[in-house]
Amino acid sequence: MNPFELHALKQRIKDIAFRVIAILGLLFALCVLILLLVNVAADGLGRINLQFLTSFPSRHADKAGIVAGLAGSFFMVIITAAIAVPVGIGAAIYLEEYGRKNWIGRFIEINIANLAGVPSIVYGLLGLGLFVRWMSLDRSILAGSLTMSLLIMPVIIISTREALRAVPNGIREASFAVGATRWQTIWHHLLPISFPSILTGIILAISRAIGETAPLITIGALTYVTFLPKNLDSAFTILPIQIYNWVSRPQQEFHENAAAGIIMLLVFTLLLNSIAIILRNRFSR
Amino acid sequence: MYKVETRDVNLFYGNTHALKNVTMGILEYQVVAMIGPSGCGKSTYLRLFNRMNDMIDGVRIEGEVLLSGKDIYNGGTRVEEIRKKVGMVFQKPNPFPKTIFENVAYGLRINGISNKKFIEETVERSLKQAALWDEVKDELKKSALALSGGQQQRLCIARALAVEPSVILMDEPASALDPISSAKIEELIWELKKKYTIIIVTHNMQQAARVSDKTAFFYLGELIEFNDTKELFMNPKHERTQNYITGRFG
Amino acid sequence: MTTHLDTELDRLKNEIEEMGSLVRNQLGKSIDAFIGAKKELAKEVLFQERRVNAEELKIDRDCENIMVLFNPVAIDLRLVFAAFKINSHLERMGDHAKGIAAYASKLTKPYAAELLTPLQLREIVDHIDDMIASNLRAFKDADTSSAREIFRHDDRLDEWNKKAITVIGDYIRNHTDEVEGMLNLASVVRKMERIGDLNKNIAEEIIFYVEANVLKHEKEKI
Repeated sequence: MNPFELHALKQRIKDIAFRVIAILGLLFALCVLILLLVNVAADGLGRINLQFLTSFPSRHADKAGIVAGLAGSFFMVIITAAIAVPVGIGAAIYLEEYGRKNWIGRFIEINIANLAGVPSIVYGLLGLGLFVRWMSLDRSILAGSLTMSLLIMPVIIISTREALRAVPNGIREASFAVGATRWQTIWHHLLPISFPSILTGIILAISRAIGETAPLITIGALTYVTFLPKNLDSAFTILPIQIYNWVSRPQQEFHENAAAGIIMLLVFTLLLNSIAIILRNRFSR
Repeated sequence: MYKVETRDVNLFYGNTHALKNVTMGILEYQVVAMIGPSGCGKSTYLRLFNRMNDMIDGVRIEGEVLLSGKDIYNGGTRVEEIRKKVGMVFQKPNPFPKTIFENVAYGLRINGISNKKFIEETVERSLKQAALWDEVKDELKKSALALSGGQQQRLCIARALAVEPSVILMDEPASALDPISSAKIEELIWELKKKYTIIIVTHNMQQAARVSDKTAFFYLGELIEFNDTKELFMNPKHERTQNYITGRFG
Repeated sequence: MTTHLDTELDRLKNEIEEMGSLVRNQLGKSIDAFIGAKKELAKEVLFQERRVNAEELKIDRDCENIMVLFNPVAIDLRLVFAAFKINSHLERMGDHAKGIAAYASKLTKPYAAELLTPLQLREIVDHIDDMIASNLRAFKDADTSSAREIFRHDDRLDEWNKKAITVIGDYIRNHTDEVEGMLNLASVVRKMERIGDLNKNIAEEIIFYVEANVLKHEKEKI
C-alpha cells in the first residue's frame, strides 16, 4: 500500500467515523424527544376532554381546566405578532435596503444580534420597569404582549434581513434599471420574493413567544384567573404559567393536569406552525 | 453632438480611484464596445450612464456625464427619469419571478400606465424587437423563469425596450449564454442599433469586434484607446492595447 | 510572455524562410542552366518545382489553421496575412524559375558570349537573390527599413531591364535567323523583371505587417 492509498484509507475511516457520531447524536436527540412525548402522553392524555378545555382553574384538580391560559396565550400571541411583525420587518427593511453599510449600521447589527441572545428574564425586567411601572399599564395583557414583542423582535429583524439578503441582487438592479424607485422595488419584488423566508422567521419567533414563561412571571401575570381577557387592560395568564403552577403542586392529580396542559401547548404550537407553513408553501409555490 | 459623453470623469470607491479622467463621446445610433481586463473600470464606466453606481456606498464622482447634452448628475433630474431613458441589460439574465407579460409590462406599470390596450401593444412590440415574440406569444402567462437562459436574456432586453429608452447599456449580455443564444443577442444588437445607441461591455473580444462600430480599451481605470473597431483590432495605436487584444498581457 | 500563438507564428516565419531559400535555390539553378544550356540541371529545377508547390500548400494550410484556431488580431493578424501573401509571391517566383528552366531545357547550345556578357544575367540574378534574402531577413526581424531598401534595388532592376531589351534588339537586327532564341531570351529577361516586382510586393507586405501601412498602389513608397 503506497502512502497515497494509506492516506485515502485513513480519510475514509474518518469519514465513516464522523457519520456514525452524527447519526448517534441524531438518535440521542430523537430518543429524548420521544421519551418526553411518551411520558407526557401517558400522564396527560387521559385528562384531555371538553371539561378540561373549557374550565377555569380550580382547587379541585378534576374540575380545573386551561381555558384561561389558552385564551391568554392566544390573545397574547396575536397582539405580540401584531406589534412585533410590522415593526420588525420595517426595521429590517430599513437596515437592509435603506441604511448605509457604515460603522453605525454594523454597530446596530451587532446589537440586534446580541439582543436576540439576551436571556428572556432580562426582557421581563425591562417590561416590568418600562410597561408595567413607567407606562402604568399594570399587569395587563398589553404589557405582557409588548414585553413579548421586544423579546421576539430581534429574531424577526434578523430573519427578515437574511431573507432580503437572499434575494438576488440582479432583481434589485433589474427593477432600478427600468426606473423603479426604492420603495417600488421593495414592495413589488423584494417582499414578495422573500415572503416565504420572512414567514419562516415569524413562525420561529411566535413559537418562542408561546413557550416563554419567565418574562411574564416577572411582570406579574396571574396564575389563578377565572375570567377571560376582555380588553387590552385585562389581567391574564398564559398556558405555560398555568402548567408551571400545576407542576409545583404536591398532588398527583395536578401533575396529570400539567401533562395534559403540555400536550395542549404542543398542539397549539404545532397548529400555529402548520398554518404558517401552509401559508409559506402557498406563496412560494 | 454626442448622445452620451463624459468629460474628465473621476470615480472613487472610498480610496480606490476607479476611473481616471475619462473623456469620451458616443454618437447616436452607434454601438460602442468596452473591453479591458477585469477590474479595469469598464463596467463602472458603463454604470455611470444610468447612475447605477449611486447604489454603492462610498462612491464619489467628479466631472460631467452628459446625456443628450444634459449633465445627469446635476440639474435636478430624478434618477428614475434617467433610468427610463437609459435602459440596461445585465450579465446574468435577471427576469422578475413573474409572468413573461408582467416582466415586460413592469416598466410601464410603475410609470402609472394602466391602459390595457397600450400595455398589450407595447409588450408585443418590445418582444418583437427583442426577437422573442414568436417563441413566447402563446405562453405570455407562463413564468419567465421557465424560459431558457438565452430567452430570459432577450426577455430582459424586451423589458428594457418597453419604456422606450434611447440608450441601452449592456453589461456582458452574452457571457452567461451558450454560443447560439450569444449569437442571437449579437444579431439583436445589429437590429437595435438602427433605433438605439448601445454601449456594451464584453470580455469576448471577437464579440466586441463583431458587434461594435467603435471600441474603447480600458486599463486600470484609464481610457487607453478609443477608436473605430476595425482600426483598433487591426492596428492598435497603443502597445497596451496591442498586448491585451493579442493575448500577451503582462 | 510567450503564448502558444507565438510559437505557431514563429513556426510560420521559419516556413516562409525555408520556402524562400527553396525559391532562391531554384532561381539560381535555373539561370545557371539557362546560361550554360545544362539540360540536367534544368530538369532538376523542373522536378524540384513540385517541392515548391508542396511547401506553398503547407504554408497556406498553416495560415488557415492559425486564423481558425487562434483568431489572431492586430499585429498577429497582419503577420498571418503577410505570410499568406508572401507565400504566394514566393511561389510565383518559383513558377518563373520553372519557366526559365523550361527554356533552358530546350537549348541545344549556350547563347553567344557577345550577347550574354553585356546582358549581365549572372550579376542580375545575384542582385535578385540579394533582394530575396534581404526580404526574408526583414520579414523575420520585422525590419521595415531594410524592406524599404528593396524599392531602391528594384529601380536598378528596371534600368537593367531597359538596357537588356536594347541589347537584345540590337542583336536581333544583326542575327535575324536567331529570332526564336532571342524571343526566349527576352522572355527570361521579362521574368527576371517580374521577380523583381514580386520582391517589391513582398516588401510592401512586410511594411503592412509591421506598421499597418498599406503601400500598395501608392507612388511614393518611402
